[in-house]
Amino acid sequence: MQHTILLIEDKTGLRDTLQSLLELHQYQVITAANGEEGIQLATAHLPHLVISDIYMPVLNGYQLLEAFQSHEQLRYIPVIILSARSATEEVNLALEKGAAAYINKPFLFANLNANIQQLLQTSGAAPLSL
Amino acid sequence: MKNGETTASQDAENLLSNASNIIAITSHEFKTPLTAISAAVELLAARLHSSQQMDAFYEKNLSRITTEIFRLNSMLDEMLTINSIMSGRMSLNKEMIDVVQLLTTLRANYFADPEDTRSFELHVKGIPQGIFADRNQLNRIFMNLVGNAFKFSREKAPLVTVDFEAQRVVIRVIDDGIGIPAADLPQLFQPFFRASNVDEIAGTGLGLSIVKTFVQENNGTITVDSTVGEGSTFTLSFLYHSDSL
Repeated sequence: MQHTILLIEDKTGLRDTLQSLLELHQYQVITAANGEEGIQLATAHLPHLVISDIYMPVLNGYQLLEAFQSHEQLRYIPVIILSARSATEEVNLALEKGAAAYINKPFLFANLNANIQQLLQTSGAAPLSL
Repeated sequence: MKNGETTASQDAENLLSNASNIIAITSHEFKTPLTAISAAVELLAARLHSSQQMDAFYEKNLSRITTEIFRLNSMLDEMLTINSIMSGRMSLNKEMIDVVQLLTTLRANYFADPEDTRSFELHVKGIPQGIFADRNQLNRIFMNLVGNAFKFSREKAPLVTVDFEAQRVVIRVIDDGIGIPAADLPQLFQPFFRASNVDEIAGTGLGLSIVKTFVQENNGTITVDSTVGEGSTFTLSFLYHSDSL
């Protein structure tokens, strides 16, 4: 029984390491390198949760949040934003655009995982049977 | 002056503005590789645990790398803050603040360093009243002063006293640490200044200058009393809401 997480991050090294950490914690992970690819994968797979960077090429995290909010199915998927920018204005903007949580880089995986667990519980996402 | 020419003062202003932008951009850019290193260390630790190869030596040194990553990140945050202050880009969002509640929350969350299990003692005197201040800046002030009290103290837990006087609240952050040499006290709040007896302890020398700026932004005052080998007391004072308007 696994939850599916879509991880959107343009830096390959960080994306691969986070994917491995998430998989070690029994999540099924699909990855995208930018917001546009993320929306395509989210529409095709309807993951239980999305983790996304903000500053990415092609389509950034804010645009991704807007696209999710205006989509009939994607709007119910919780999105955790990971960002190096901690200014109150940036955090508030992401939350206003529909982010469920905002975590500053660098972070401890335990902190990210606690947020994932809490959001999966509150969103009532049922894990997929494999 | 011909079209396209600039004066020396405009050139200097542009240079400062560019330098400020470069500091802001590079400081943020450093955080992504720091995150990648931190995640790689955690992945390594998780693999060592799952293959039952983790021992005290690996654990201690991996934990040390993580501690240093977050220390470096704190230094970047300090650089970003001082850069915002110096370039005039610091925004202020004042609201009514319950100082005791803020300190209580801070105490509950102050267990980030697994090597130090102490908490700080909080003593409150008088009838609590609110102050009109920026929450983020006030948090940074206390995080820095209490953080220093932990960093430079030895045996005892740092003590924070909150004294609600007739017109102001006086907050003291007291430690039994190494103290500050008397000759260093006049420069203590200057950017990049570090006391002459702290070479072995990591820091940028920016923390206290940020604290002083934030205290002044919130119409407060800060003073320090210190004796080498006995400890330091930082005293903050803020007017109550009605008196600060």
